Amino acid sequence: MTTTEEPVTGSSLIPTLPGSAYVDPAVFDAECERIFEDMWFCAARESDLPKPGSFRTVQVGRESILISRSRRGEVRAFYNVCRHRGARICTEDAGERARSFQCPYHAWTYDFDGKLIAAPNLTKMPDIDRVEYGLRRVHVRTWLGYVWVSLADAPPSFEATVQQEVVDRLGTLDNIAGYDVANLSVGRRIVYDVAANWKLIVENFMECYHCATIHPELTEVLPEFADGLAAQYFVNHGAEFGEDVSGFTIDGSEGFGVIPGLEEDRDRKYYAITVKPQVFVNLVPDHVIFHRMYPMAADRTVVECDWLYLPDVVESGRDVTASVELFHRVNQQDFEACERTQPAMSSKLYAAGGVLVPSEHHISEFHEWVTHKLTPTGG
Amino acid sequence: MQHVCALADVPVGEGLRIDSVSPPIAVFRTEDDEVLAIDDTCTHQDASLADGWLEDCWVECPLHASRFDLRTGAVDAPPAKLPVRAHAVEVRDGEVWVALSDAVPHLPPGVTYEAS
Ligand code: FES
Ligand code: FES
Ligand SMILES: [Fe+2]
Repeated sequence: MTTTEEPVTGSSLIPTLPGSAYVDPAVFDAECERIFEDMWFCAARESDLPKPGSFRTVQVGRESILISRSRRGEVRAFYNVCRHRGARICTEDAGERARSFQCPYHAWTYDFDGKLIAAPNLTKMPDIDRVEYGLRRVHVRTWLGYVWVSLADAPPSFEATVQQEVVDRLGTLDNIAGYDVANLSVGRRIVYDVAANWKLIVENFMECYHCATIHPELTEVLPEFADGLAAQYFVNHGAEFGEDVSGFTIDGSEGFGVIPGLEEDRDRKYYAITVKPQVFVNLVPDHVIFHRMYPMAADRTVVECDWLYLPDVVESGRDVTASVELFHRVNQQDFEACERTQPAMSSKLYAAGGVLVPSEHHISEFHEWVTHKLTPTGG
Repeated sequence: MQHVCALADVPVGEGLRIDSVSPPIAVFRTEDDEVLAIDDTCTHQDASLADGWLEDCWVECPLHASRFDLRTGAVDAPPAKLPVRAHAVEVRDGEVWVALSDAVPHLPPGVTYEAS
């Protein structure tokens, strides 16, 4: 590695990852194997599966995963791979089956628990164990109204990973419980197809050095973001709404009623949480914004973002545009910045990477975490 | 009539393949607790109708969704074109007895069974 571009030790600058970490398919492969396919991965909203046979397919690392609901209403997740000769079972992003999942190739047919229930000539092959040759399941947890899956044989502790990230940020799990995220309703979902490496998106979300430059609307609502420090760095710190701001909306206009059960000191504050490796959550008094990243390739990441409101706000058909528009704009601004950065990751100039200023130094903890994950002995 | 299984072997809303007769038959127990029997093998391809989807008085083939009337064996729509046979059933003291139809079964191409 060339060292000419590296900052001098003791300066205000510390290095980022090298450019290759954002473009090298081998690095992306290793990240899939050791991060996305090995940790808990937030895959779908439970309400995307309203009934038995409702399904979604999502990419988790390099695998297509089929998420569905059994006859008894339990959430199940399977490799979307036929046990016969490997055809994709479902090719749509989402849908519904009435009876079973049937492979379109030779019609191996599986029930909603994954068991093989029928196949041509199956009765002539009594030695085929219908469970053994059923769809292969992956581990499932539901939390905050989302389905989290793990493709690991022995998944890490959900409490010590996913939930610990929330504790590290908010101090206790109680501090997110007040938002009752599981029981909110999806008022709007926007899916962004971002031409950038997933780490650029995480890094962007972790710092606010860019806020005053690219997020004029957000900085208007949360004036302290203009100092560039607003980061999620201080435990349980929430950014205060500006004095003349009534709600977390595009123009600072009034939002909806505060989520009942929220402590009083949260009623004019914004909190942001990163749950590694692919979830960002924003908490504001009257709604929650929940992002999941689906890394598709070294240079492509799909981000699915839900705006969650109290059920009566959604059911009564109230117009959520003013609040959606604020963070939708923030997302567009952020993803545009990431897409602007991605092409340079393969530039000769960026071979050794770039630099982090002090208000971004905490991003190097993320870099150390990724590096540690990718080292063969890393956990 | 011949004895084929105990009623308790067939849960309500499901079917049971009976291999002890040839060609095999399927005994179904409807949601109304009616017990009916037809040939187990679909007439389109080698699929077990006992694994199919039982609703009211018909079963949907698990492979390509042709439906068979459990009372008559008639098929509703392709890809299966020929009916299966329906067999008379009696339930006595919790045991299921069947009088096999003496019609010629319509087995799918390539499937043969010795008559029992
Ligand atoms: S590959 Fe699925 S049935 Fe053959
Ligand atoms: S096998 Fe029954 S309809 Fe095709
Ligand atoms: Fe941003």
